[in-house]
Amino acid sequence: MKNILKHYASVYHGFLQTSLSEATSFRLNFFLFIIMDIIFFCSSVMSVHIIYQHIEKIGIWSLTEFMFFLSFSLLVDQIHMAFIAENFWYFSDDIRMGNLDFFIIKPISTIFSVFFRHIRPASCINILFTGAYFVYCSKQAGLSNLFILVSPLFVILALLLMVSLEILLSCSMFFMVESMGINFLRMQFQKLSRWPDFVYGYMSQKVFTFAIPILLISNAPIKFLLNPTDITPLLYMLIAIVVTILLIRIAWAHGLRAYESVSS
Amino acid sequence: MVIQSRNLQKKYKVFEKHPGIVGSIKNLFHREFTENFAVQPFDLEAHRGEFIGLLGPNGAGKTSLMKMFTGITVPSGGSLQVCGHDPSKREIDFRRKIALVMGQKSQLWWDIPALDSFLLLQKYYELNEVQFQARLSEMAALLDVEKLLKIHVRKLSLGERMKMELIASLLHQPEVIFLDEPTIGLDVIAQEKLRAFLLDYHDKNDTTMVLTSHYMADVEALCDRIVLLLNGSKCFDGNIKQFEQILGKEKYLSFHFSEAVDPQNSIFSGFDPKFSHENSKVELRVPEEKLNEVSLSILQQYTVNDYHTEKLPIERVMKTLLENPEIMKTNVSTT
Repeated sequence: MKNILKHYASVYHGFLQTSLSEATSFRLNFFLFIIMDIIFFCSSVMSVHIIYQHIEKIGIWSLTEFMFFLSFSLLVDQIHMAFIAENFWYFSDDIRMGNLDFFIIKPISTIFSVFFRHIRPASCINILFTGAYFVYCSKQAGLSNLFILVSPLFVILALLLMVSLEILLSCSMFFMVESMGINFLRMQFQKLSRWPDFVYGYMSQKVFTFAIPILLISNAPIKFLLNPTDITPLLYMLIAIVVTILLIRIAWAHGLRAYESVSS
Repeated sequence: MVIQSRNLQKKYKVFEKHPGIVGSIKNLFHREFTENFAVQPFDLEAHRGEFIGLLGPNGAGKTSLMKMFTGITVPSGGSLQVCGHDPSKREIDFRRKIALVMGQKSQLWWDIPALDSFLLLQKYYELNEVQFQARLSEMAALLDVEKLLKIHVRKLSLGERMKMELIASLLHQPEVIFLDEPTIGLDVIAQEKLRAFLLDYHDKNDTTMVLTSHYMADVEALCDRIVLLLNGSKCFDGNIKQFEQILGKEKYLSFHFSEAVDPQNSIFSGFDPKFSHENSKVELRVPEEKLNEVSLSILQQYTVNDYHTEKLPIERVMKTLLENPEIMKTNVSTT
């Protein structure tokens, strides 16, 4: 087991090296990504501030609680953008062009090679700002230092749920071949998950919590951090992660069996 | 036994799309599927160190076979063992033992130097630094690409890229190497260099290699065994000498006359004559035992400026077989 983990860590280190080598080959693009991330972050924060200039509360949350939720959601999103997001676009192309062939024959998990090999180093820089903003918002929301210290664990859980849901959705690409639609659907789900669950109607809330549990990504950890006496949302989240990972194993195996590559 | 297949089959489901706007809209709601057999029941046994050429026209099933051999696609029927593994299970140990080189696809990262991709492969295959450096420097020297290792892959010529692809595939010293048209699109010099490298690598490492190529020069230079596929079925399995004699023990005889000759002359009939436009040159296909007799009578009847004979080259055999696949039904030669 130790050797396997060492192997994966070593390959991931290789992914970091190659991604950095690729990203720094195009300097202007590298800096544009940093600027784009900063603009996305600022516009998200400012739009909520603008809304709160006109109302006192959204649902049950004041500006402080909402910003705490938003900062968590933005941090998860930023890490996702830096380390995983690009791979879903590449996966769609790899299936259509037959480049998946080379990942299937590499001596490591194909899921790992496919979904973790492209990293966007420029976006890593903004993780520092979103991370710092999250700590600031946590303080504003009255979180204790202990909770702030353990919050990275919740960020990891949120990422785990988000990525596993996306991988599960992406398994359908094996059967669809042309998968732009799936990637856009994935992005819409991301957008939905960036709002507190109480803004949605009863049915939507239930569907996106239990059937397609995207609302648990940010809502479950934040609800727990704001009210640690109720662990139900966190339990739902853990169950959703386990079920999704199990479903991925089945869907991925089916997808790989159905994969026909392309004619030469 | 390195490769053993029994009744191996691969069928694909394809749908036929009608053209035009109406066809496209209909296609959204209703599709007519047909099943195509890319590989019909196929048997093969390959031993360690063999260099096998898989030949056949486009769509014969060569690449489908390669993809089943490497575990990329799952067979529709039959059994397959490669290096003692069932490729469709895609076990990690199996993946360490094989390599695939595709002339039309690249496993190298396009926007970084090849060396960065090699470093990633070093981690994939868990090669220690000494092994990695030794293999890389040896192959880079043999292929004369040492100075190109730090150049971005997209800036390399096709020939240079192909050399890098080969290095990438051989770094982990696989037991079996599948080469799918590795020389496609390369100029003659680059083809020769690649062939020389592959031959040298094969001799030094006693690796089993399976090659598909449309260039008969690749096959003649590299392969000691040929497997011919037509419409997904194996039509021939033997060595090059047997393959060359598949149409009979014949030789090509060419004459260059001092003036135009009569193509209707019975002396040429029965030898598949091919005259030049002005009837001053002719090419005949003559059975070996009649070579002297035919040559002598032509030399006696006409003034000949030049003539020469050559065995039926593999390229011609292949062309004849592809044009007349029915020959294989009556003249099958297998080992």
